[in-house]
Amino acid sequence: MRPFANEPTLELRRAAARESLVAAMRDLDPQLPLAVPILVGRDRGAHEGFESTDPGEPDRVVATAGRATEADAAAAVEAAAAAFPAWRDIGARARADVLVGAAEILRSRRLELAALQVRECAKPWGEADGDVCEAIDFLEYYAREAVRLEHGPDLLQVPGERNSMRYEPRGVCAVIAPWNFPLAIPTGMTSAALAAGNSVVLKPAEQSPASALALVDALRDAGAPPGAISLLPGFGEVGAALVRDPRVHVIAFTGSSAVGLEIVRSSADTPEGQGHVKRVVAEMGGKNAVIVDSDADLDDAVPAIIRSAFVYAGQKCSAASRVLAHEGVADALLERLSGAVNVLIVGQADDFAIDVPPVIERDAQERVRRYAELAASDGRVVAQQPDIPANGWFCAPTLVTDLPPDSAVLRDEIFGPVLAVERVRSIAEACDALERSPFALTGGLFSRNPDTVAEVTRRTPVGNLYVNRHITGAMVGRQPFGGNRRSGIGSKAGGPDYLLQFVEPRVVTENTMRHGLVVE
Amino acid sequence: MSDVEHDPGVEAELNEVGRALYASFPQRSRNPVKALDARAMELASQDAELRAALFRFVDVTPACRSLDDLARHLSGYLNEVDAKPPPLEVAMRMAGTKPGRTALGAAAAGGVRHMAHRFIVGDSPRKALGILRELWEGGAASTVDLLGEATVTEAEADRYAARCAEALDTIAEAAPRWPERPQLEADSLGPLPRANLSVKVSALTPHIRPDAPALGRDDAARRMRPLLRKARDLGAHLHIDMESLDALETTMDLIFELLDEDEFREGPSAGLVLQAYLRESPNQLDSILAWARQSPRKPPLVVRLVKGAYWDHEIVEARQHGWETPVFEVKAECDRNYEQLTRRLLDARPAVRVAIASHNLRSISHAIAYNRHSGGEDRDLELQVLRGLGDELGYALAAQGQRVRVYCPVGDLVAGMAYLVRRLLENTSNESFLHEQAMGVPLEELLAAP
Repeated sequence: MRPFANEPTLELRRAAARESLVAAMRDLDPQLPLAVPILVGRDRGAHEGFESTDPGEPDRVVATAGRATEADAAAAVEAAAAAFPAWRDIGARARADVLVGAAEILRSRRLELAALQVRECAKPWGEADGDVCEAIDFLEYYAREAVRLEHGPDLLQVPGERNSMRYEPRGVCAVIAPWNFPLAIPTGMTSAALAAGNSVVLKPAEQSPASALALVDALRDAGAPPGAISLLPGFGEVGAALVRDPRVHVIAFTGSSAVGLEIVRSSADTPEGQGHVKRVVAEMGGKNAVIVDSDADLDDAVPAIIRSAFVYAGQKCSAASRVLAHEGVADALLERLSGAVNVLIVGQADDFAIDVPPVIERDAQERVRRYAELAASDGRVVAQQPDIPANGWFCAPTLVTDLPPDSAVLRDEIFGPVLAVERVRSIAEACDALERSPFALTGGLFSRNPDTVAEVTRRTPVGNLYVNRHITGAMVGRQPFGGNRRSGIGSKAGGPDYLLQFVEPRVVTENTMRHGLVVE
Repeated sequence: MSDVEHDPGVEAELNEVGRALYASFPQRSRNPVKALDARAMELASQDAELRAALFRFVDVTPACRSLDDLARHLSGYLNEVDAKPPPLEVAMRMAGTKPGRTALGAAAAGGVRHMAHRFIVGDSPRKALGILRELWEGGAASTVDLLGEATVTEAEADRYAARCAEALDTIAEAAPRWPERPQLEADSLGPLPRANLSVKVSALTPHIRPDAPALGRDDAARRMRPLLRKARDLGAHLHIDMESLDALETTMDLIFELLDEDEFREGPSAGLVLQAYLRESPNQLDSILAWARQSPRKPPLVVRLVKGAYWDHEIVEARQHGWETPVFEVKAECDRNYEQLTRRLLDARPAVRVAIASHNLRSISHAIAYNRHSGGEDRDLELQVLRGLGDELGYALAAQGQRVRVYCPVGDLVAGMAYLVRRLLENTSNESFLHEQAMGVPLEELLAAP
């Protein structure tokens, strides 16, 4: 296999690249709504039970999907358990070939899949293209990682004994995925589990079933046995049934803290007959802050903060929602950020000339509005882009400051386009503030002093610290991604130790001496 | 004719021109301050770590709150340099105490200010007038470039537009009092404006988006139109600079669209920039010439041919995204392209006026020689140099009777840092002509065909 390299994103500064996406959308639209069936082993179930709609035009139905039941969950787990031994036994290299084949299929469909995300999740073009590329990256990266891992680490050897260590897959893995990276995140969790030799039941978010179907189709077309990858479009009850099922060994989840903690609680149960303790990999929320030191270059910091907070309407777990500004630059920064928020263009995701698309659904819009109102009553709103489309789940990008330290706006993950600026007297004070937050996902620092960079690196508990750049857009193999503290358990997606979550280590020690004769 | 590379007649003329120019260079030893700067530059170009440390320091200087803060930054950067020359070891020792840091900070701040003043002619157009006049009297025209912070808000875009308008007023008001310099005031197509301002599209709008060029184009156009009107009414030239590739489509579309509008048919004189380091620059020239030939506009479009100042940026950007590199990565390829574009531009007259902006002795001599060889007059070719980097070359060109224009950045130190760092990078790169010249590369090599 050639060494891993990130899939190049489209060069959207070229008119031809933009036109290729517009053409893909022209082809996709007449096909809507897509049909997403329940896929359990070889069985193809219903594809009419619920709908996914375009957040920018809620009347447009993007997909109709079968609504999987608890019985479907049980059947999918059974199929996965049955498929597991064979999938395990074909070895890492054969599984890697399937994953690389699936990557090739996604590559051949990338324009269409980007267009689908624009419709299904209102992801702007550049973000949607990046999402498809990241999905391809996960497949290619974990394929190689599994081959590497199969050899196991070297152990100390002494005369008369032979020690070896290897990693074995755990069994059935339930993947419960979010909508905000509708292809990349399900692909990441699924391909890691599969690469390591587990079989998978995928429960995608109810907002984005069609993107998940593309993944399952690609894997099966590339040679994954149907039992090794089932698709259960549906709602929370299906996910809960999977988590409860005693035949499930690993639960890989990305989503809200509330659901993640419930999974951790529920999966701790070991009912009679369950011969293992479940392993949970949970990637949860964040309350991510960017520290701006007095020596920061605001020409760089302002666009990077705006991008971190408002791209995809703040609906990334890595998005910035707090800025901790040194008092030496706080006024200038606030003025420039405020002007930059005022020029943000809110509009439909399929328009290249927008900055902020709608949020995913009505509930999200209402939640963001509640926090924006709270921001106005707790503190001072310094900028709020008032020019937003009426139809669709649009929210006004909001910049707020002068909040009391206990304000919920500074504490809760809002998952929308709301950014709060706080003033600090020193970088140490900013680090203290981060120290108090239970979240530790991403963080940012703008400083041109190497000593400050070293100090903040040492003190911030976040899983991903970005220095002098935007804090979103982690790349597979370059920025292994994942949070600490209450932001997540498990390890870094797209990094060298992620697959270890999906395997169990086994060591064999053989006595090679018989009557003083050492058999080497 | 333009695809004939290295025509022997042109090469012979080129060598003669190059030798004459070289002989006209002012003696370095006559200006000890400049020689000192040159030594600092030499030091920086020998050691990549040291170069990075010094540039990071130059970059951060205006953002430091005190001399102590400044010295802490300097020692922080130098700490990352493995092999420190003896003067820097002294600096590190000074940084260990508070009085030491104050002294070190003061010395370093003075050094940066001195260097900045070499490249930046004043902090406002009014304060720059003295130097603009001196240049004019010495035989060189000028174009003023207003340095500024990045434009991220409407207010910043408005402020930049207002500064441009004010600069046009200020320069156009002062320029008529400059003495007559016939060599700088007309070519065979007609009179050339004395007042000349370069503007940046990215500073005229907060909406530059590489994937949505129409957005920035339309917003910048709102602010560009009043400037074009003012330039027309004052008889000044307005030149639209080129920046990174991310703004290229926005900039080109804007220029073609605005200049085609009826109200600008008679004026002002206006121009754009072609960057020879771009692999696609020959195609860009096709569209520029196609536009110029069909345009009913009266003043010929001025095309300034440059190498391009965002080379490192473009390479890094492309590598990070896995894109094909948009720039020539081999210097000789870029130099050859520069010469081809030069010939095509000179052949395209009178549809365009040609300005060759380069510090490369070979590129300049080539332009002069090709122009003469193809029957052009010297005054039909403009040669541009950068203030601070191309001063000696500018003197030499003026002394040889060439029509020279000096690109003069104006603005405060904070605003100037990005510009200064870009220029320093250019000047200390191992492939820089100025570096080769300073290193004593023989004239034959400097003039050899790329």
